[in-house]
Amino acid sequence: MSEMGVEELLAAYATGELEGEEIERVEAALETSPRLRSELEQYETMFVLLAAAAEEEVKAPKGFRGRVARRVAITAYLGAATNVLDDLLGVYGRAILYYLRLT
Amino acid sequence: MELSKVMKLDDAALAARAKSGDRAAFSELVARHEDVVYRVCYRVLGSREDAEDAAQEAFVRAYRKLDSFEGRSSFKTWMVRLSMNVSLNERSKRKGTLPEAPMPAPAPDPERELLSSEAAARVHGALQKIQPNYRAAITLRDLEGLSYKEIGESLDIAEGTARVWAHRGRTKLREVLSQ
Repeated sequence: MSEMGVEELLAAYATGELEGEEIERVEAALETSPRLRSELEQYETMFVLLAAAAEEEVKAPKGFRGRVARRVAITAYLGAATNVLDDLLGVYGRAILYYLRLT
Repeated sequence: MELSKVMKLDDAALAARAKSGDRAAFSELVARHEDVVYRVCYRVLGSREDAEDAAQEAFVRAYRKLDSFEGRSSFKTWMVRLSMNVSLNERSKRKGTLPEAPMPAPAPDPERELLSSEAAARVHGALQKIQPNYRAAITLRDLEGLSYKEIGESLDIAEGTARVWAHRGRTKLREVLSQ
């Protein structure tokens, strides 16, 4: 990481992920480069947007849990059926389930 | 097992019970992690409908693969990994189709954007335009707040690779947002 150019450290600098010598390198370069300062501003804007997006309430839809529970129940029953058929009919039982597209 | 007792168990204990066929324990794990799983799927796929399908599939796969959950990472990290795999596979199947996420006109004042959902829509739209592995790293780091170690575990990559993907993703995202 320390060998990366200053430009490549800007995003990490904007989020506070850098330490010690890397911070000093970035800050020294920023003092003399308007282009780097402009890029840093763009990163800061981006992280404001990302922080806002992270705050956006995205929750699983209503009834999601129930729909998962139904699919899990079907999976469990099919798994049990596979085991029973496997015990009873061996490879033929599995072939029947495969043919019926149940596994 | 009684619901109140199930709710007191930690994730590892619930996973152990679910492995032995306790579906109430698995339902509690779904209840605890449904939002993060759905969010990850939504942020990779950019569509709420596709996100629900992918999130359901991730939980069904989790149930089938419970035996492979060894507890080396947290259950949440394991679920995020499954969600990412399902979403990225779905995404690659639909390669070339346009994302549903809206792209409103760029707004130059970020403080104003904070007051609305425009910021989120803008970020989601821009994320759909960068490489899936970079999008995954940014989603987990900058939207879900995972450490690079957790991102590595979630995406089955080295911690250093997680850093590189997040770094490159941020560079690309800045470019897209600045266009």
